Amino acid sequence: MAAPTGSYATGSQVLYRIIALSLLGTVIGVAVSLLAIGFVECVVWLNDRLLVSPRTRIQHEENALLVASATLLVPAAGGLVVGLIFRYLVPEGRPLGPPDTILSVQTRSAPPSRRSGLLSTLAAIVSLGSGASVGQYGPMVYLGTLVGTLSNGLRLNIPNVRAIAIASGVAAAISTAFNAPIAGLVFAHEVILRHYSIQAFAPTTVASAAGYVVANVIFERPPLFLVGFEGVQYGHEFFLFAVVGVLSALLAMVYMKAILACGAVAARSPIPRALRPMIAGLVLGVVALELPDVLGIGTETLRFATIEGAFELDELALILIAKMTVTVLCLGFGFAGGVFSPALLIGILFGALLGSAMDDLTAIAHSGVVPYAICGMVAVTSPVIGAPLATILIVFELTRSYDLTIAAMVAVVLANLISYRMFGRSLFDVQLRGRGFDLSLGRGSAILAERRVTGLMHGDVPRFHPDDEIRTALRRLGDCGRSEGLVIERNGRYVGVIRAQSCLAHRPSDSVGEATDRNALEFDESTTVWQAMEALRGFLGEITPVVSTSDRRLLGAVPESTVIDAYLETVNRLRREENESV
Amino acid sequence: MNRYSLCLLWFWLCIPATALSAQVQRDEAKTLIVTTWGGAYEAAQRQAYFAPFAQEAGVEVRLKAYNGSVDPLRRSGPSGGGEWDVLDMTEPDALAACAEGLLAPFDPRSLRPAPDGTPARKDFLSGAFLDCGVVHLVYATVLAYDDRAFPGEKPRTVADFFDLQRFPGKRALRRQPIALLEWALLSYGVPISQLYDLLSTERGMTLAFRRLDRIRDQIVWWEDGSEPVKLLERREVVMASGFNGRFFNARVNDDIPVTIIWDGQFLDMSVWAIAKDSPSRTLAESFIGFATRAENMAAFAHLIPYGPTRRSAIARIGLHARSNVPMLLHMPTAPLNLRRAIRSDSLWYARTEAVRQRWFRNWLAQDKGS
Repeated sequence: MAAPTGSYATGSQVLYRIIALSLLGTVIGVAVSLLAIGFVECVVWLNDRLLVSPRTRIQHEENALLVASATLLVPAAGGLVVGLIFRYLVPEGRPLGPPDTILSVQTRSAPPSRRSGLLSTLAAIVSLGSGASVGQYGPMVYLGTLVGTLSNGLRLNIPNVRAIAIASGVAAAISTAFNAPIAGLVFAHEVILRHYSIQAFAPTTVASAAGYVVANVIFERPPLFLVGFEGVQYGHEFFLFAVVGVLSALLAMVYMKAILACGAVAARSPIPRALRPMIAGLVLGVVALELPDVLGIGTETLRFATIEGAFELDELALILIAKMTVTVLCLGFGFAGGVFSPALLIGILFGALLGSAMDDLTAIAHSGVVPYAICGMVAVTSPVIGAPLATILIVFELTRSYDLTIAAMVAVVLANLISYRMFGRSLFDVQLRGRGFDLSLGRGSAILAERRVTGLMHGDVPRFHPDDEIRTALRRLGDCGRSEGLVIERNGRYVGVIRAQSCLAHRPSDSVGEATDRNALEFDESTTVWQAMEALRGFLGEITPVVSTSDRRLLGAVPESTVIDAYLETVNRLRREENESV
Repeated sequence: MNRYSLCLLWFWLCIPATALSAQVQRDEAKTLIVTTWGGAYEAAQRQAYFAPFAQEAGVEVRLKAYNGSVDPLRRSGPSGGGEWDVLDMTEPDALAACAEGLLAPFDPRSLRPAPDGTPARKDFLSGAFLDCGVVHLVYATVLAYDDRAFPGEKPRTVADFFDLQRFPGKRALRRQPIALLEWALLSYGVPISQLYDLLSTERGMTLAFRRLDRIRDQIVWWEDGSEPVKLLERREVVMASGFNGRFFNARVNDDIPVTIIWDGQFLDMSVWAIAKDSPSRTLAESFIGFATRAENMAAFAHLIPYGPTRRSAIARIGLHARSNVPMLLHMPTAPLNLRRAIRSDSLWYARTEAVRQRWFRNWLAQDKGS
């Protein structure tokens, strides 16, 4: 059995690792935070130049034609640039984001190339800068991933260092984006690492704190979201928050299914891939002429949603539907960006809609629209990103209100439960499942499901022809100490398995063909270690043949013990990673 | 960066304008016409700047009343700004007037170094030098109340200003879309850092005017900066917006029980600028040089609590000339007062003048209709 890597560090190794991991966390935290601030600044700069932000639009209010043509053309032009980048420069042909990060960390595989990552980030800046209705946090998470993977070149000689560095980068990105270091730390564990080892916890925490220090203390970035709230006044409101959670889960599922469906429709459509984002941009521009709220991230609309009376009921419903439609279109048609910020906006509008509707249509006493808006915001977002704890903490760190956090908690927990049962852990996980990686049964099965049995094949197995005599077969099996052999025709086609036990029931002069078990368990070139493990349950033989599906030729044989070894090795490596102290 | 490139553009736009101003009509060496805002502010300027300058330069300083806005500069002749030499303008007005080519380009090299020899460039706070003038003081438009009107609970926040139930009575507001829209939106609990982003949307403006609707019947409009104190003193209103220096003066010099609400104080800058057609350009420059000397700026700050914009002047601020109150504590820039200050976005103000005025006029017109 292969020894798990990185076992049993000595005293000096422990000291080295503590120092190296802390330094790694600090450096990654500072670097990601600076890059994330740069990313946001680039987007803001483009928004200002391209007349996307309300603050510049109003300054050109006199020139209505200029504002209207910018609204129509800027997202389309941005879409064209993004389409061309993915068509000609990025081999993956699609934006990279949290699913790629999760896959790399969960299956211990290398993420897509640095070049693809940088170009994808550039495309996200162009998308967001030109007002596309997509999120900024997904690209920021991937920015953290990019910095994290740089640690691979450092030769630190610490086990699991790539996953830890990526998680640190992601934690710093979220910590900077939301001014929420605790949420950043939890997000990295909940969504990316999916385990809590001390070895990963320490550098992730350091990186998260470093990101917060850079964003808050050095650059004094304003908080994303500030809202005053006096407190929940009635006990029965917690039941209402739960109702908001349930309804939000349904909305979140509609949002996620629509994104997946729109992507599928786009893939089947005859529109060339390079032009798809431009089409989405044009539609967005037309909608934005009437409803400028749908442009970009919509920070202003987010804030208005918590102000009582800022919207009429029908206005809320209209903006909600419009925002969701253009977001689904932008994401499905290939703009680069996340699902997180639009989910926040859709959720807060939905929450405000429920709160205001209750106010208008019923006589239930309640404490204003704010807690419902916030509950809706997090209860729609949490199922989408699959991070209930992190979203609850974001509310806590943004609002510093204990009451709002408890209200949000009630809504989030129900929303997550329902969506988990009816849809999946998160949009990211469902997207990965679409690409063939199922993380729903844990990462062990995902890793084993990626490994094929062809890599475990063994050549040293006795082979016979169907017309060989049984006595020859028994002698040769005895010579090499085996009880099983494989039967192959002269042209290489596989026939079956011959066992010493079944030979005993025949005369020595009979042919091997008569004693061959033609229905024995067999694998093919696509069989994974995970499938092999499942198939070997209750199996009593020694070896399993691997047979080509196309021409039934024998490719090799896999001894049972090798499959079990491979399984144990993976499980041990994961167990060790998830329990590593330093 | 945008601001600098735009300023550069204005600079070049201003050059032909200066060439045109060669026709000199007035006896330029003898008189200098300076605009001022009246009241306690004018009195302090007279004492610290105008009188000493007239004496030192041997000229007559003639004062003209000016209440802000770019409009008067657009009109020539005695009713407009046709005769003015030196203007004391708010920063947004100065930026807008400069962009329209109504002001002469300003050369910061004409300013004197600090008493210790530090060059003016380093002594002034960053951002003080504009293409058409120099920022010389920081003032605040604040809300204040008549202490006699509220013997019990006192108003403390901007939201209280809009709360007629807890704090009933008439309110005086300046008849300009300046600061009041910010206050209206702030009263909803919007964070100060997001004010201008939200006010840039139609929804934000609508919300702000909706909040003003709430107190519409209780508003008394003022235009001249000296009116709010008079209205409070005569008990015609219980709360008023106004300039912080005037309210200070009312309480300290005139013993009127006026208290400033520092919450949501609206910080703005004042700029010395020279009119495009000024026939006494050199004299105007030497006046600005005189009025921005550290010791003169400090002398002014001892009379009225407006913050000077050069470090050497701030270092010289002591006690109020008459009452011995420490002036630094009453400046808008005192740390305690600064906690909930709105820093006006001058460029946004300069560029949204037309749209703000239009919305404001429409809202006022609704008043007559209803």
